[in-house]
Amino acid sequence: MTRDELKAYIESNFVGRMTLLESGKVEPMYEIKADDLIEVATKLRDDLELKFDFLCNMGGVDTRERLEVIYNIASTSKLHRLDFKVILGYDSPAVESICPVWPGANWYEREMYELYGIDILNHNDLRPLLLPEDWDQGHPMRKDWDAPDFVRMPEL
Amino acid sequence: MGLIKKVPVYTENIPGGALVATSLEQVLNFGRAKSLWYLLFGTACCAIELMCTGASRYDFDRLGMIYRATPRQADLILTAGTITKKMAPRLRKLYDQMAEPRYVIAMGGCTINGGPFYYDSYSVEKGIDHIIPVDIYIPGCPPRPESLMEGCIHLQEVIRKQKLSDWQEK
Repeated sequence: MTRDELKAYIESNFVGRMTLLESGKVEPMYEIKADDLIEVATKLRDDLELKFDFLCNMGGVDTRERLEVIYNIASTSKLHRLDFKVILGYDSPAVESICPVWPGANWYEREMYELYGIDILNHNDLRPLLLPEDWDQGHPMRKDWDAPDFVRMPEL
Repeated sequence: MGLIKKVPVYTENIPGGALVATSLEQVLNFGRAKSLWYLLFGTACCAIELMCTGASRYDFDRLGMIYRATPRQADLILTAGTITKKMAPRLRKLYDQMAEPRYVIAMGGCTINGGPFYYDSYSVEKGIDHIIPVDIYIPGCPPRPESLMEGCIHLQEVIRKQKLSDWQEK
């Protein structure tokens, strides 16, 4: 499916559940509500026209105004790609684990949990993945993060 | 040292045999300096230079330096590469497992003070001298094999000047 066909198909089949955002430059970028995530993701995977069977990448973003979780998915049989994001607030950000839909998300979610402090609901194993086991200095990828031995690059 | 210089004179006077007179300290220091077995411990790109120095072009063997895969057989730890905060306790554990006398060479900018990861990094330890005592620092990112060999020769000179009592005090 080409990019335009994909956009038209999603517009007619996901009315009100996926909002097209302007930010998608290469692939179309959609916003999905946090409480609707699992249902929409399952539909994206199981739809016979879409067949999004592969989660390429997933990550968090801190824009200083809000937190975002971005998913990049692709179809290995239909050869098309799509991005979507879930937008979260700063107070107690939480998102449902997407492991039931794409099991490869497990380690991405662990990493996002420790680096951004985004709580992953119904995740089976939230031990620290990259940070030391006894880490107690918060979530280092947050923009406002600071630590005693953390040195910012001086303005040039 | 006066006696050592006279040794060839004495040996010439002994018919049919040779005699070497020296001190225990010098024999021990000679042995330690000329057989520095180093621990295989590469954590980043400095390890590539270390491998190159160990290979045939630069040939670490001629300094008597052979790699060991276990800290229990190593005299020297060459920290070749970035030490992250997660790696720091492991490095300390490896150092503690080495038998004395043991030496440490901090190789490259990362191990001296964090190097290219000094700013804006939450994960890199700013200098391994917070974790283990360092004998020789070799700057560079990464240092060329020549500077690595020069650092090792410096360490050998340091060892040759050691007194037996130094280790007992520690």
